[in-house]
Amino acid sequence: MKVTRRDLLVWSAGAAAGLLATPVPWKVLDDVSIWSQNWPWIPQPTRGPVEVKQSFCTLCPKACGLRVRMAAGWAVGVAGSSTHPISRGALCPLAFAAHQLNWHPLRLRSVRHGASRSTWAEAQAAFAKASKEGPLVVIDGYPGRAASSVLESFAEKQGGSYRVFAPAELRALASYERWTGIPAASLGYDLENANTVISFGAPLLDGWGTPGRFTRLWAERAAGMRDPQLRLIQIDSSLSRTAARAWQWVEIREGSESASALASGLAGALHEQNLVPAHSPVPSMTLAESAAQTGMSVERIRELARLVVAKTPALVIARDDDPAVAALNVLLGSLGKRGGIVRHSEQVKPYVAAESVIGSARAVLIDASVPWDFVPQTDAEIFRFAAWDGGGTKPDWLLPAPGFLEDLMDLPTAPGCSVLTYGIAPALVKATSEVQSAAQFLCSLDGSLPTTAKIIDSRCQTVFRRREGSVYAQEIFEMAKFTSVQTFKEQLLKGAVWAGEPTASPEFHCLLKKWPNPARAVAAESWATEWRAPVMPPLASKLYQESGLRESLSRRNA
Amino acid sequence: MSARYGMVIDVDRCTGCGSCMMACAAENNVPALPQASARTGLTPLLVRKVSNGNVGETRREAFIPIMCMHCEHDTPCVKVCPQQAVEVDEATGIVMQMPQRCLGCRYCMTACPYHARYFNWWDPAWPPGMEKSLNPGVAVRMRGVVEKCNLCHARLHSAQEKAGAAGKREINPADYLPACAEACPTNAIHFGDLGNANDPVSKEAHSTQAFRLLARLGTEPKLYYKSNEAWVRALAEPDSPQASEVQRG
Repeated sequence: MKVTRRDLLVWSAGAAAGLLATPVPWKVLDDVSIWSQNWPWIPQPTRGPVEVKQSFCTLCPKACGLRVRMAAGWAVGVAGSSTHPISRGALCPLAFAAHQLNWHPLRLRSVRHGASRSTWAEAQAAFAKASKEGPLVVIDGYPGRAASSVLESFAEKQGGSYRVFAPAELRALASYERWTGIPAASLGYDLENANTVISFGAPLLDGWGTPGRFTRLWAERAAGMRDPQLRLIQIDSSLSRTAARAWQWVEIREGSESASALASGLAGALHEQNLVPAHSPVPSMTLAESAAQTGMSVERIRELARLVVAKTPALVIARDDDPAVAALNVLLGSLGKRGGIVRHSEQVKPYVAAESVIGSARAVLIDASVPWDFVPQTDAEIFRFAAWDGGGTKPDWLLPAPGFLEDLMDLPTAPGCSVLTYGIAPALVKATSEVQSAAQFLCSLDGSLPTTAKIIDSRCQTVFRRREGSVYAQEIFEMAKFTSVQTFKEQLLKGAVWAGEPTASPEFHCLLKKWPNPARAVAAESWATEWRAPVMPPLASKLYQESGLRESLSRRNA
Repeated sequence: MSARYGMVIDVDRCTGCGSCMMACAAENNVPALPQASARTGLTPLLVRKVSNGNVGETRREAFIPIMCMHCEHDTPCVKVCPQQAVEVDEATGIVMQMPQRCLGCRYCMTACPYHARYFNWWDPAWPPGMEKSLNPGVAVRMRGVVEKCNLCHARLHSAQEKAGAAGKREINPADYLPACAEACPTNAIHFGDLGNANDPVSKEAHSTQAFRLLARLGTEPKLYYKSNEAWVRALAEPDSPQASEVQRG
């Protein structure tokens, strides 16, 4: 039979039509689409046995307890540790993606000198030369750590100065340090026993202090209750997150002057209605002046004064260092009292604030714990440690520091906490590049300095010898149960936290006789602005961008 | 024995911190793609702000986490899916999405009354090395399919594996908690078995303060909310006279 061109065409058309009636083309189409959705270069999660380790968040001084899920040596998930007595399983939102930060595109991976790359050896030589030539200033953003001791010791040996960039919670306690002589770092807020909390703009429900501490208390004792056990009165110029959830929101004019004026007005109203002892300081500002400055009515201020003392103990919290607001606690007798400002330690030294004038320093060393936004005003040569490059003003030397959980670190008491705590965060993940902490850098320059690990050993011994407090692990152990410092330290290295006993501190001797003048208060609005790292986890940037839940954080890099 | 997993979200406790959103995205390996926008990004859990519409000191705001409501009856997404890529799991009550079957037609997105479904427009990508931080229990999401909350189904699998290894058929309820409920710093998200009358969450769902969004549609969502505030409860039915006075923030 002769096959013609026409036969071929008919056969091809028939085959094509017939093929459509079979599942083959659809199966091929489906397979192609699945295959193209799963390209071999699409990233896949790390495989390996998963284990959960207890540790702490080291990204800011709030020291929240963490449960870190690990796979093949990498952190693959973060959750709050419910065994931590202060954070109680809660974290700030950013911490849930903190394990991604080590891979952030802006992660610093090499030493930089100006705009060019350099080496650790060159940085050491330059720093050694500068610190010999003239005064040295060392700035720490997370005081009280073992690493802080190294920084302080080095500064002292060089005849330099050790300064601290304190978080807002600590700055808000500075007035009490001036009036009582007790260092702010050894004071804390006894929130657990307060029945009324009056917040002058402090973001109590938005990351103030250890994020879980107040939010958990508020959820248990106030949320959704018409007459809550814990009355939260929020004084704010706008409906902040805390104001939106507070028992009462008091709206005042914008600006720190308004807060100080309201504090003075409240003090005047308390005196006028004989609600506080007559011998306590009286502000010179009249109620009418206060009302004019705050935009409130005189009667509203009087009513607020009655509310403040209606359910004691009452505790006033400023969002930054504001002496007029702090003086309200003196008036209310809340210093050294249960449910007020308490002292948790007697062994803390006062710090010199980093914001103080630096003067004629030759070199300034900035630890990675100092927020990137803090730039000292000086002509000195700046050696800045950082895990991420925040952009903007560049220091002379930019030195790559360990990232999230890449370094052994101890965790002293969080700012504003009412009991002493101590924990150790081991290096759970290996560093992905050649990094050094400021303490390691200084120890390599001066061999006589004790290493962080040695200081942690010695601190464990000190805490062990006190024989008081408890260790919070999967269960709570009394200190008496530990027979050796070694077993105690082992527990801490596994993520347990030691917490001291709440102190029954005597009432402070307070030197405040005259109502203080108002001071400027530059405040953090929430954890997002208090976030120490100059970058946010990419996931946070994405979610805020897509949800509109948070205002744009333009100064933060995505 | 079958369960009916669901949640009761206490709106009065929600401070709008966003921890639940972060934990959800991290748990489910949601990529942070710079090209994604509010319309095109994946947010299986989205916290929305609402207000009572007042001005001054009487203004109140609340935050409402929105996610798949896991509708029990006449589940809209199940009914419209031409691929049978969505189904209500009879054993758990979870509305399951099977990405391998999904052809990306997005009918389900249109049908969902809660706008709780998202289309995955792009291949997942992370900065170099960040894939090491992904959750190994959850596969990365493929392009071209619809995504939504599955009540952290991978965690249910882990709980079932653990129970199986111990020779048990039933999971320990403490072993299965979605990431959002675990992360909430105020314990506003309560997760449990709504089918078990003794479960505290089931009792809470029947309290007078509890409500469901768009309950009049009759889809019986398994996500309940509760609030002592009448203006918040009025949000449940946007066509109701009370809700007309309520403004979205």
